Amino acid sequence: MNDIATYCSATYTWGQFTPAFILIGIAAVLLMADTFIKALPKRAYALTAAIGALLVACLTVSGEHTNAYSFLACLATGLSILLAYDYTKVSCASIAGGSNDEGTGEFYALPLVACAGILCLTQAADLIMVFVSLEVVTLTSYVLAGYFRRNQGSIEAGIKYLVLGAMSTGILVFGAAWYFGMSGTFILDSSVVIDTLRVGSVAPGTVAIGFLMAVALLFLGAFFKVGAAPMHVWIPDVYQGAPTPTTTFLAVASKTAGFALLCALVVPFRDLAIPGVLVADMLVCVFGIVAAATLLIGNLGALFQSNAKRLLGYSSIGQAGFILVFFVNLSGPVEALTFQYLMAYTLATVAAFFAIAMVRTQRGSEEICAFRGLGKTNPRTAFLIVVSFASLAGVPLTMGFLVKMASFISLVTVMQSWTCLVWLLPIMVVTAAAGFYYYFKIIRAMYWEKPQAEDKPLCVPFCTACVMTACAIALIVLGTWPLIGSFR
Amino acid sequence: MIQNLPWLFLVLPLLVAAIDWVVFHKCPKTAATLSILSALGTFALCVAYLSGWQTGTPDVYTWMPMASGTLSLHLGLTMDALAMRMMLVVTGIGLLVHIFSLGYMKGDSSNLSRYFAGLSIFMFSMSTIVLADNLAMTFIGWEMVGFSSYLLIGHWFHKASAADAAKKAFITNRVGDFGFLLGILLTLGVFGTLTFADMGTAVAGVTPCLLTVTVICLFCGAIGKSAQFPLHVWLPDAMEGPTPVSALIHAATMVAAGVYMMVRLQISMGTGAFTETACMVIATVGAITAVMAAIIATQQDDIKRVLAYSTLSQLGYMVMAVGLLAGEAAMFHLYTHAWFKALLFLGAGAVIVCCHHEQDIWKMGGLARRMPVTVLCFLMGTFALIAVPGFSGFFSKEAILDAAIVNHPAFFWIGAGVAAITTFYMTRLCLVAFFGSARAHGAEEAREASPTMLLPLLLLAVMAIISGYGFVADYLVPAEGFSAPGFHIGFTFYVSLGALVLGLLAAIAVYGFGKRSSDPLGNNFIATALRKRLYIDALYDKVLVGGLQQCGAHIIEFIDSALIRGLLVQGLAWLVGRVGILLSWIQCGSLRAYSCVAGLGILIIIVLIAL
Repeated sequence: MNDIATYCSATYTWGQFTPAFILIGIAAVLLMADTFIKALPKRAYALTAAIGALLVACLTVSGEHTNAYSFLACLATGLSILLAYDYTKVSCASIAGGSNDEGTGEFYALPLVACAGILCLTQAADLIMVFVSLEVVTLTSYVLAGYFRRNQGSIEAGIKYLVLGAMSTGILVFGAAWYFGMSGTFILDSSVVIDTLRVGSVAPGTVAIGFLMAVALLFLGAFFKVGAAPMHVWIPDVYQGAPTPTTTFLAVASKTAGFALLCALVVPFRDLAIPGVLVADMLVCVFGIVAAATLLIGNLGALFQSNAKRLLGYSSIGQAGFILVFFVNLSGPVEALTFQYLMAYTLATVAAFFAIAMVRTQRGSEEICAFRGLGKTNPRTAFLIVVSFASLAGVPLTMGFLVKMASFISLVTVMQSWTCLVWLLPIMVVTAAAGFYYYFKIIRAMYWEKPQAEDKPLCVPFCTACVMTACAIALIVLGTWPLIGSFR
Repeated sequence: MIQNLPWLFLVLPLLVAAIDWVVFHKCPKTAATLSILSALGTFALCVAYLSGWQTGTPDVYTWMPMASGTLSLHLGLTMDALAMRMMLVVTGIGLLVHIFSLGYMKGDSSNLSRYFAGLSIFMFSMSTIVLADNLAMTFIGWEMVGFSSYLLIGHWFHKASAADAAKKAFITNRVGDFGFLLGILLTLGVFGTLTFADMGTAVAGVTPCLLTVTVICLFCGAIGKSAQFPLHVWLPDAMEGPTPVSALIHAATMVAAGVYMMVRLQISMGTGAFTETACMVIATVGAITAVMAAIIATQQDDIKRVLAYSTLSQLGYMVMAVGLLAGEAAMFHLYTHAWFKALLFLGAGAVIVCCHHEQDIWKMGGLARRMPVTVLCFLMGTFALIAVPGFSGFFSKEAILDAAIVNHPAFFWIGAGVAAITTFYMTRLCLVAFFGSARAHGAEEAREASPTMLLPLLLLAVMAIISGYGFVADYLVPAEGFSAPGFHIGFTFYVSLGALVLGLLAAIAVYGFGKRSSDPLGNNFIATALRKRLYIDALYDKVLVGGLQQCGAHIIEFIDSALIRGLLVQGLAWLVGRVGILLSWIQCGSLRAYSCVAGLGILIIIVLIAL
């Protein structure tokens, strides 16, 4: 029995999961308190949960088992709970009705559970752990997406996410089954890949088609999480319908989980990334096509959106496309580059969602035109919003520019070995240009459109102000520091 | 770390400009204080370095690192005597102008934070030019001063004339900068380096023809920035800006940057690189500007325009000196001129404010009795400008004339003639504006200027008197190993004294002591031509703006509308838009459609990977 276990799956230590256990612990305490202590205001749970997540984020950086994705996931979760803290007015109205905060407690505790799932996922070295931790994330997300039960959009989003998510889970498990069947193990490791492809169950030297089938299905499962074509279909509807804090969580934390998974799946293939090797050619080609499709769908689909949340949904698809370009260059530093890009994306997207939530709470709309005249009524806030959208668009001196440039450089590097990828470059250029168009729609609404008579200046909640300022500063500092850093 | 202290010259004003602009845009007092403190800080730093303090070589910042062995752009600081003494002029006059602005802009309804941020950004840009250790960095500063000058000329942008003047200055400079950029590229191509320190060795072996072209191209930059003929048209219009700005940018420092740059090149390339043809071109352009501007100045009524044309004419002198390979004399004149011309402009500013923003000298009169200190300071500046023996301008003009008579007697006589005309129009200005009786209501109510305005005037007046003597000049003139030319009574002295007396007598004979109420020389065709600035501006308007631009506009319009907008932009946008609509149409909200799309995609991926 023991033999089979060590053969099939990787071994873990308890220490690897300490941050996850801490999160689960906090979530359990909060859920108990929510059930039995009625006197506490629910917002207190939000604050506790957020602080807990952010503290664990610090722990993941300093701890023994540091992992960049864990840090990013905790940070994103903490920030999205902070957003929920500022969003209570809408939450109360959409859950219990009126200003009654009954039933909102779990809304703040559940993201912690999902985050714990992501932390486990980042440590996963075999497909069983991948599946279990991924399901922790996904199942929690279904609940969170449909949490606003008085809001039809939220329920619809929950259902759609559940159905399409179930499909993707099925595909992933199917892939895992094929993987086990072809290689005889669940462990994700380059030696397994090489052994299976070279001397697998089929004749030596030929490519095991069944194993590639497994790889394809596993990739598709990961594509669902990151929102890459063709598994992107859930994103616009779910992002638009889900409660804004949940959308934020899905857009940043869940996407981080997806890329952590994709990295774990791709890394075993890195040693094979030599031009001429059949698997490598095939993987480069597939990632190129998926990246191109994702870029086109995300960026061109965003052009005509008028709802800010839906726009950010398409934007998250488009940004995922730029990250996928890193995966085309398999032999490059995929993980580091992806982390950098996700960092820039997280900082800018979180700030953007905070702005949307604030506008939604105070102007009652998530349409782009609800941002009208913010440049006049709230010049400082408007500037912070400009920074985050400029970073998403990739304006120089923001971090978004550097990471987008890294994406271009990555493609140019890989083109030296695989010249057949030249066609991807114009697509990247066109989609990056399209990004300028739709991100600047919001900036245009803020500065070019005049505020209407009934538009009062927005009152910026404390957390929103802090987070947006911090994000803007981080984006500019991280975007300019490498330029200054060359001082000698 | 300490060796990087000189970077403060650039960082401090830039930082202050940003803070003024972003943080204190609604608190003009704080913004003004910060700007003045930054000017004071850089001035103090400059004084410290000039008095022998040393901190070692500042680090070089590699701005655009490129593959090793090929070109990469550096930002470095030159700290030689030429640069540091020039910095003293820039920061010193800058500081006084900052202080003067406090009084001058008091009660102005425009945004003063913007004004002071503009001044600070100018200080940054000018310091960049002065301290640059290579031509690329010079060019950055060159464009930045253009930009700050644009901001400051157009400070009162709601006035159409100010907005137009700002535009005119910017565009005219663009023409010169185009040549300058060509020159920089040629330098890079011919010498293989842009760093001033490496140019000396690189010159050897370059053909004279190539050298001539390079130098003339670089000189184009100076033509634009120092407003030499034929690009001089922007400077008189730039007087639409606030007067302290005119004093700092359009008299003392920025317009002198062209001369500074040419002298810097002369030193680093060596005078051998300035071939005879190039020198002839430079000296001729300078001489033409000097003569033409001086003549036009005799018929201007606006006190600032008289001074503007006089600046043009004096810049012509300096450029002429550069062309005569007398860089030292040019820098000497630049330095004395900076002090006394700043004094004249600030004096004019004080007069303008006290006469309720009246600039027409024919509507002044009798000011000597009402604001004696201001007028006295102004007269000191005038004496320096018309080269009364003993004043600073006298010594530097002698230096140029001495250089001219040795090198090229023709330029000597031109210089002497310009000196006579200068005396004539400045005496006319003083007689009409300060003597006689008030000719308008504003002048009747004029009172002495406020202390914040008087203090800079007095300090500048002192400099206007003493800065030419050896005991000051030897330490402050921006030139390597400078020693003030010993004064001797000789041929040039007699000639320039003659020019002075001639101009003085002519002006007194024509204008008396302010008894006339209109110009007796006006109302003939020469006067009209001079008032219309010899029709040069009109010619530019007709030929360049009207003709070339219209013609060019048609061609560009065709390319723009048919090819670029029609085919490329709109066509591409149309295509992209259609695809976008198609894509968002797939996203119709139907779960079945979604599953279908995803299923198809899954099939494609599996086929791609597994088969």
